[in-house]
Amino acid sequence: MVIEGKHLSKITADVSTVAKPRMNFDYTDEQEAFRREIREWYEENLPDGWIEGDRDLPDDEDEREQFLREWQRKLHEGGWAAIHWPEEYGGRDASLMQQLIYQQEKARVNPPPERSEIGVDLVGPAIEGFGTEEQKERYLPKILSGEELWCIGYSEPDVGSDLASLQCKATDEGDHFRINGQKIWTTHAHKADWCYMFTRTDDSGPKHHGITALIVDMDQEGVTNERIRQITDEREFNQVYFDDATTPKENVLNEVDEGWEVAMRQLSFERISLSQSLDLERRFDELVEFCKNETRGGTPLVEDPHVREKLAEFDTRIQAAKLTYFRNVSKQMNGDLGAEASFGKLYDSEIAADLHRFRVNLGGPKAALWGDDSPNGAAKDSLANISIRIGGGTSDIQRNIIGERVLGLPKGDQE
Amino acid sequence: MDFTLSDEQTQMQESVRDYLESEGGIELARRQMDGEDVVGEVWDGLAEMDYPALSVPLEYGGLGDDLLYLSLLFEEAGRVALPGPLPETLGFTVPLLAELGTDDQKEEFLPAIADGDLRASVALYDDATESLPEAIRMEAEPTDDGYRLDGTKTLVPYAESVDRVVVPARTRQDTGYGGITLFFVDPAVAETERLDTLDKTRPLYELTFDAVEISGARLGPVDGGGDALKRAIDRLNVSMCAMLVGGADEAVDRSVEYGKQREQFDKPIGQFQAVKHRIADMWLDAEAARSLTYYAAWAIANDEDDARQAVSRATWYCTERCGELFEDDIFNHGATGYTWDHDGHIFLKQAKTWANLLGSPTEHRRRIADIRL
Ligand SMILES: Cc1cc2nc3c(=O)[nH]c(=O)nc-3n(C[C@H](O)[C@H](O)[C@H](O)COP(=O)(O)OP(=O)(O)OC[C@H]3O[C@@H](n4cnc5c(N)ncnc54)[C@H](O)[C@@H]3O)c2cc1C
Repeated sequence: MVIEGKHLSKITADVSTVAKPRMNFDYTDEQEAFRREIREWYEENLPDGWIEGDRDLPDDEDEREQFLREWQRKLHEGGWAAIHWPEEYGGRDASLMQQLIYQQEKARVNPPPERSEIGVDLVGPAIEGFGTEEQKERYLPKILSGEELWCIGYSEPDVGSDLASLQCKATDEGDHFRINGQKIWTTHAHKADWCYMFTRTDDSGPKHHGITALIVDMDQEGVTNERIRQITDEREFNQVYFDDATTPKENVLNEVDEGWEVAMRQLSFERISLSQSLDLERRFDELVEFCKNETRGGTPLVEDPHVREKLAEFDTRIQAAKLTYFRNVSKQMNGDLGAEASFGKLYDSEIAADLHRFRVNLGGPKAALWGDDSPNGAAKDSLANISIRIGGGTSDIQRNIIGERVLGLPKGDQE
Repeated sequence: MDFTLSDEQTQMQESVRDYLESEGGIELARRQMDGEDVVGEVWDGLAEMDYPALSVPLEYGGLGDDLLYLSLLFEEAGRVALPGPLPETLGFTVPLLAELGTDDQKEEFLPAIADGDLRASVALYDDATESLPEAIRMEAEPTDDGYRLDGTKTLVPYAESVDRVVVPARTRQDTGYGGITLFFVDPAVAETERLDTLDKTRPLYELTFDAVEISGARLGPVDGGGDALKRAIDRLNVSMCAMLVGGADEAVDRSVEYGKQREQFDKPIGQFQAVKHRIADMWLDAEAARSLTYYAAWAIANDEDDARQAVSRATWYCTERCGELFEDDIFNHGATGYTWDHDGHIFLKQAKTWANLLGSPTEHRRRIADIRL
């Protein structure tokens, strides 16, 4: 049987004169110029010795904060603090392609962490998407400049993956809300000026209803926090107690009781921004260097057949991650916002976990040491990497999302 | 940078899919497995739709499209495990003919392939326990007007359903891809014996050349065919990867469908997270395999520096990971999946066959390491 009008030669004749094949990995002159602009800016502005590989942050916490504050200030002045934001709030209205190029360059030089990262990547988009004009003008510029730091209050002692069951209570008292309850795992709460948090304003209906997103001043009597020590021996996250804390009504984001919509959009911001593949590519290059320089029994690690095969395996998986990321970004550029964005969070974090474990094992007996004596800094990295599988929706929650939203499998009992 | 398919490519892929479905989809593979030879019928239909013309250069009556287009065709073929020497003819032979053939050879064979009148295969192995290129051992002796081939080639796909076979032989004592001359031979000059194969949709044969004298069959330079052969094998690898990607996509779909339908403990099994999460992981691997394969096809078509690495990445990943994916698909179907009548094993057997036919996963990882390290 022949399907009329579906002959290949006909399709080719119909279409090829109009639409050229899309697939290419070239960058336009304009895009290359943008890349050069970033590179040059990095070369001029990164801390001394950074590009050459001297990437140690100050050990002392205050000095480190000062260092990071200074870096954020430079980023802001250079216009690189949030290129994807609208120009009116300090961004560049960067296209997806520009964002990708920026990410590539960033992965290449591995700059210091951004002090405002939580604000830029997570809070900013929520305020931009749901905030009033006053809220945008009040908060967005200071996120970029790093003048104000933010923390995010989703999780509670009894509320993790099942965010909609949150309990922390906000009561309407006319012109303000009174907040009572507890948040936990709140990254940077100990130094944040503001908390962007989710509260229970109505518990009479279904659990997704009656959640309200609030912006809350951390500098008030009703808010106290306690730092929590992590397996990496750092103390970046906190317990935060709200005892009759207050926030004025104008600090509601979106409508009262309609916070769930905000939270859902929020989680998708988080997923899209989380492709580690470009960083993994750099880490892989560093690992190859390590294997070339490090010897066992007089032979460089890189000559060990087992090591070689493992490296080839990582090379492939990282390329698969990167190429799929490119494929998804391309789809997005062509207006197709597929659910495929869920790919990277899960796939990349599995590679990262395996890569970090492998790095530790390559350290030899010395892998028992910590701090500056840890070979290749691998011990801490491999621990820190575990958190990537937990935060922002655990890996198994991602599997639920892929199963249900991408593939259409039946929802579980839990939802 | 734009890593999406063009409208033309998407339409082409849809047309292939609709056509193959209208022809019975995987039933064609079933009939082949049951002992019928459906290759002629499949090929006539493909020719009606111009598919064999896809990679043939324009000046020889083809559509002049590159390996990426071909891969999209193979992906659809792979979705139904389509029998027939499609990768061997279009992915392997056509570019080899276009590169090495004399004008006469091109005139004779390329339009015939485009019209669907000629199918081809490849006879690489003299020793089924050795890997390539060491497995290429046959020696070809020059005669007055040609060469004498003596020896037995094995693991030759579809030898009885094709009109020509590419036969590499050594014309100079050498190792690796050195000293190899290629011949484009009518398999009728050899004695063929069908082998019992794991994958019954893709028959393999032994081809015995009993001091057969051939003339005018040399393809490309004397002693210097190895390089082109190496690249042709890369293209064949990508073609097979593309078929496996199609199969993987299909296997994910099948697991999803079964996950929705099949109920145990009063629930659809797809609600159990062990099942749901396994299918999510299958999806990740299928998507990763597709990215690697498209890129490898594109890199070859555009002569990119990293083309060889890209081929090896795609090959080990598609054969090994998709092989596991097909096993998982069977597992998701329980005992039903373990039956001959369920299609899961068709894909699995293909992956297992290909995982070792053109370089094992380990060999491909070594190749990546040798280039990269
Ligand atoms: C480094 C770090 C920083 C963080 N920063 C913040 C922050 O700034 N603000 C904030 O609010 N939170 C933060 N979090 C908390 C994070 O969002 C939660 O840890 C996460 O949502 C998981 O919740 P949980 O820890 O309560 O685990 P739980 O939800 O209790 O999960 C425990 C285990 O059960 C599994 N599980 C749970 N539900 C399901 C299900 N439906 N299907 C399958 N498996 C399931 C999980 O995958 C996990 O393995 C941070 C966490 C980390 C590690």
